[in-house]
Amino acid sequence: MKRAAWYLVAGTVAGFAGVVVFHSRATPAAQPAAAGTGGAGPAQTGQAGPSAGSSPASQPSQPARSSPASAGGPAHSAAGATEQFGYGKLAVKVTVSGSRVVNVAVPVLRTLDPTSQQISDQAIPMLKSQVLAADGAQINGVSGATFTSQAYVNSVQAALDKLHLK
Amino acid sequence: MINRRMPAPTDPGQEGPPLVTYAETAMGTVFSLTLVPGGLPGRGLRSVLGAACATLHRADAVFSTWDRQSPVSRLRRGEALLGDLPPEVAEVAAECQAARRASGGWFDPWAMPGGFDPTGLVKGWAVERALAVLRRSGIAAAMVNGGGDLAAFGSPAPGRRWRVGIRHPWRADALAGIIEVGAAVATSGCYERGPHLIDPATGLASGRAASATVTGPSLAMADALATAVAVGGDDALAAVGRVGGYAAYLIRPDGSETGTGGITFVS
Repeated sequence: MKRAAWYLVAGTVAGFAGVVVFHSRATPAAQPAAAGTGGAGPAQTGQAGPSAGSSPASQPSQPARSSPASAGGPAHSAAGATEQFGYGKLAVKVTVSGSRVVNVAVPVLRTLDPTSQQISDQAIPMLKSQVLAADGAQINGVSGATFTSQAYVNSVQAALDKLHLK
Repeated sequence: MINRRMPAPTDPGQEGPPLVTYAETAMGTVFSLTLVPGGLPGRGLRSVLGAACATLHRADAVFSTWDRQSPVSRLRRGEALLGDLPPEVAEVAAECQAARRASGGWFDPWAMPGGFDPTGLVKGWAVERALAVLRRSGIAAAMVNGGGDLAAFGSPAPGRRWRVGIRHPWRADALAGIIEVGAAVATSGCYERGPHLIDPATGLASGRAASATVTGPSLAMADALATAVAVGGDDALAAVGRVGGYAAYLIRPDGSETGTGGITFVS
């Protein structure tokens, strides 16, 4: 299920793509300060990825914290559908203020077995900061393991290509 | 260790020439060619793109290990010697030798099941060939992405460098980091096409990395070294750290990260 929480802010800026990406493997630690776009691009206010799914967000494993960089405007939160990932299932709760993602929390984490739980405990915190830091970033391309031409269709690179296609 | 600094606020009013992107299917994946056309008119642009894509299809025809009649397949079966084959094969074989040495043996096309298999290098090599066509044509700047391995020249906008996101190994729609690229970046891992990375020492699939990224001046070499780090994990990373001009970034299977230094993350 590839449908996950991500925004593509297609910049009106000449020839450059602003891509805002976040994902579910995140713990609610502090958001990198002021990494936002400053309202660039077609802002999607208060819309946080997949609409509320099966996740019981009322029992977060760790409480969500609002961002130290209060972006102004009311904050909206939405819990995403529980998704399968490499080692189990998790759901994500995303808080958006204005056009900016201010927090990503993981209220639900169910793993397949104790080994996976260990892997998840390590993997999620280590990878959290990178994902949040992608907020507001601009990229020209994506480097990754070679995708098949079928997988390309749903890739971030394909989305970038569409911005400039002639 | 890895140098991460906070991303600068984006500038929505940034001026720059319009980019043109063209996507071409070849070698079982999709190549994205992103250009700053400069003064090149539309017709010239199409002709240049056609010539660049022709090099990709030529590389596909010569190096396909799926096509049993391709020159590299004949070499693998021992039906032909290097000297009997198109000169590109010897050129790639020489680059493979250099990469095998540089990687401390973690990249070894001669140790693959079924015989000589340059797949871990040849896509990066093909990207460089296509990029050279664009460079010679007078295009101001370009970046070619061969299914996740990228090479570039020039600037996408005045004062800017090409920015490349590193795909998150467990999420197709997320990034593990963003770097600025002067010449080439390659990433290797098993999250797209399953466990195809073979340890030359054992002949078995390796699981020592979730994602391995290498930057440097040549994409053929970076591609091979990324394969090496994906196979050899921390041990191969140490080898790449000794190769002048190249840097590596490894995400281990447990999600922890390490790097050789030399890669500056903008986020």
